[in-house]
Amino acid sequence: MPQTPSEFDVAIAGAGIVGASVAWHLAGAGLRVAVIDAVGPASAASGASDGAVSVASKKPGPLARLASASLLYTRVLSQGGPLAGAFHPRPSYVFGQGEAELDAMDALIAKLGQVAGPVRVTADGGRDLLPGLGAGVERLVALDGEGHMPGHKAVRAYLARPGITGFWPAPIRAIDPDDRGVTLDLGTQKVRAGQLVLALGVSSPQLVPGLPVIPRAGQLFVTDRGPVDALPGSLTAAAYLLAKTEAPGRATLPPVVIDPLTTGQFLIGSSREDHADPNRVEFSVMRGLMARSVAAFPALAARRVIRAFAGVRAAVIDGLPIVGPLAGQPRITLATGFEGDGICLSAIIGAEVARMVRGLPPSDALAADLAVLSPLRFTTQPQEGRA
Amino acid sequence: MSDAPVLVIGAGLAGLAAAVELARAGLPVLVADQAQTPGGAVHRQPLPGVRSIASPVQRRRWAGLMADVQAQGTRITLSMGTAFGGVDHTGAVLLTGAGARLFRPRALIVATGARERVQPRPGWTLPGVETAGSLQTRLKTLAEAPEGRVLLAGSGPLLLALGAELARLGRPPVAIVEAGRPLSHPIAALGLPMSYLREGAEYLLRLKLAGVPILAGSHLAAIRAEGGALVADIDTPKGRRSLTVDRIALHDGIASNDIGLPDCPALPVLRAGDCREALGARAALADGRAQGAALAARLLGQPQPAPAPEVARQRAAQALVARLHAHDGASRLAALPGDTVICRCEARTVNDLRALGPDPTDRQLRLDGRFSMGPCQGRFCAEWTARLAAPDTPKPRLGAPRWPARPIAIADLLATPDETQGDPA
Amino acid sequence: MSGHILWQDRAIAFRAGESVASALLRAGVIAFGQAPTGQARAVFCGIGQCQNCLVQVDGRLAEACLTPCRTGMHILPETGACDV
Repeated sequence: MPQTPSEFDVAIAGAGIVGASVAWHLAGAGLRVAVIDAVGPASAASGASDGAVSVASKKPGPLARLASASLLYTRVLSQGGPLAGAFHPRPSYVFGQGEAELDAMDALIAKLGQVAGPVRVTADGGRDLLPGLGAGVERLVALDGEGHMPGHKAVRAYLARPGITGFWPAPIRAIDPDDRGVTLDLGTQKVRAGQLVLALGVSSPQLVPGLPVIPRAGQLFVTDRGPVDALPGSLTAAAYLLAKTEAPGRATLPPVVIDPLTTGQFLIGSSREDHADPNRVEFSVMRGLMARSVAAFPALAARRVIRAFAGVRAAVIDGLPIVGPLAGQPRITLATGFEGDGICLSAIIGAEVARMVRGLPPSDALAADLAVLSPLRFTTQPQEGRA
Repeated sequence: MSDAPVLVIGAGLAGLAAAVELARAGLPVLVADQAQTPGGAVHRQPLPGVRSIASPVQRRRWAGLMADVQAQGTRITLSMGTAFGGVDHTGAVLLTGAGARLFRPRALIVATGARERVQPRPGWTLPGVETAGSLQTRLKTLAEAPEGRVLLAGSGPLLLALGAELARLGRPPVAIVEAGRPLSHPIAALGLPMSYLREGAEYLLRLKLAGVPILAGSHLAAIRAEGGALVADIDTPKGRRSLTVDRIALHDGIASNDIGLPDCPALPVLRAGDCREALGARAALADGRAQGAALAARLLGQPQPAPAPEVARQRAAQALVARLHAHDGASRLAALPGDTVICRCEARTVNDLRALGPDPTDRQLRLDGRFSMGPCQGRFCAEWTARLAAPDTPKPRLGAPRWPARPIAIADLLATPDETQGDPA
Repeated sequence: MSGHILWQDRAIAFRAGESVASALLRAGVIAFGQAPTGQARAVFCGIGQCQNCLVQVDGRLAEACLTPCRTGMHILPETGACDV
């Protein structure tokens, strides 16, 4: 049966927070945008995330600078823009115990100083800085300027913009680029667009074989409701920063993040495991995370866990996201591999990928840092590090 | 590992029947149940010193099963007051309460029985409104009916059974509101097994003698609290009428209570009884035996036994019972007032659901709507949320199954001895 | 063993083996306080599935329908503020 494909200026594969932000920015430039997802909006990492808009947890250098710029831009978008109601500023706290974690906290303070951005250290001391902390907190650093943005809310908000047409559930069977555009086979229908943005997270290698994106799961536990505002912001163990940044081997204590939700519930995570199974949760991991959480914030002992699951992040073997045109395929742009950092980075990445797609140069201040994320870094020695 | 016990969750008919079969095959069995005494929902035992209100048939069935359990001696260990948190990816099971432990059983049989289906309606969250099963549990443990006026409403044979028990205890219900017309198909009803007919006739006789009106083809439309009592608005074939009562018991059938059980690759996990397929007590006993025998054969490398014919018989009988009670009550969901609570845990209403727009996905219902996200794990709202969201494709739950099977107190988790350390995962 | 539990500051008699929910209901207490959502806490399913009868039992959250009474046990509504 011959099919007339639906015509768009740009097709975006993946309705996670990065794809949704790209779509919002392109639609804002007057382009007709299709967003295609195998399941639906925020169905993978974006929906499972803790929603922390965190600069503190980013690797020093390009990622920390981009995160800083994205946080500023997220604030702009939340002031009467699409993220109004999705992003909420709140304080954040990093705690530590023992030499490795205290060193990591020194490194954090140094990193935030280098970025000189929107996040500042408001206090650095002991557990008495915040009411309710327990003996598991030897040192506490309080940060101001970060915030909370549930991924599914931000995705919904971005996708609500006129000019965006959603296709889901619609797994992409094949992509067929030619001189004038790209045709996507969705099984029952076809979508034709001048350009394609791949923001597929862990599914990216299915359409770009060989792309070094691997799943990295993190176990998450949700408690029942308790008093709202028991904790004014997220409480992150420095071990989590170590696990995410340069020295994963140094973290011996559980990499706990305690995230207070607006409902009075807590979301507690999170491990980093190399698999993609959302049901793979373990009592031993849960015990380790909970023991440390209760030591840091004893009121948690009175809560009950009502849900356990694994969020699956898309990680890249060199620890940096992949953003930019695919080698040899100028009509295909990649934006994937954020490994949980998409919540924070999505605002600025959406804006910059939209510029790339429209043939505009990157913003001056970000050009060098974006260049580091180019997929071209894998084309010279494509097999390197794949083991 | 091979000396680890097989763990059976649930000390009701199915669980204990399975335990007996496993023990007969020589396997050590640990049976855990969150109640204080064995019996499950059907054979809930009276408090010490209280006489049983069970029928002679029921008493014989339970006594026979308990004798079988006793005959297995130390091969079966009962751990009462012990709650099942779930089984994780590595096959580790968390038990909390009296028999708290974190360990890896050799295999797992989940016989956690049924959950009651209760269709949402305005006022169903008011104190004094409970499930029929809940009220029946207290009759069985206390052998006394609550004071005050009681109304039973919904659909299904449990309403008649409960009404008859209340009558026998000297406090018959004010009325039974039954959405179906089970008494209007006498010829079809003759297709039921004799035991069903005898039981049904006894209930009806007792209700008749007590003068309990059975309002068939009627729906309890709404409940409101008024002057310390509950006012029930009932739509009958002759129009609306209101009854003022003190207590209302609701029941719209049963479904499997198998929530919180994702697939476990690390050990055999079987479901038995109502937890596998909600077919009632007679099937639960037969299915428990069958699943126990099947698991024993699997663990011992023996050929699988033939399926139990009794389960198929009960399936046919239950299908006929369902046909006799058939009604269009679910269609009333669409007409519920917007402020009717659907999800009790999160207090989410019909309006909250409609605000999600047309054809919401499971994910939208859960993440944006917060339906099925509370501590009951969607046991009491998922089916109705799904029916309201997609009337043509109803399903019993939203999203993938996830543990825990029940809320786990973090303090309990941390206090539980961990026997899995050093085990190969 | 029978005895008394405390519901807020009221002594409630219980029978040997009885659950907190059963003892409260026999004493005419049908509303067990409020959930953080504002919903009334009360017995609904009676067998530990629905979580609607949560109360504080000696400072810990538990299902009233699953908790056996013990003499001296102190039961409070889940949210301390309400008086029912």
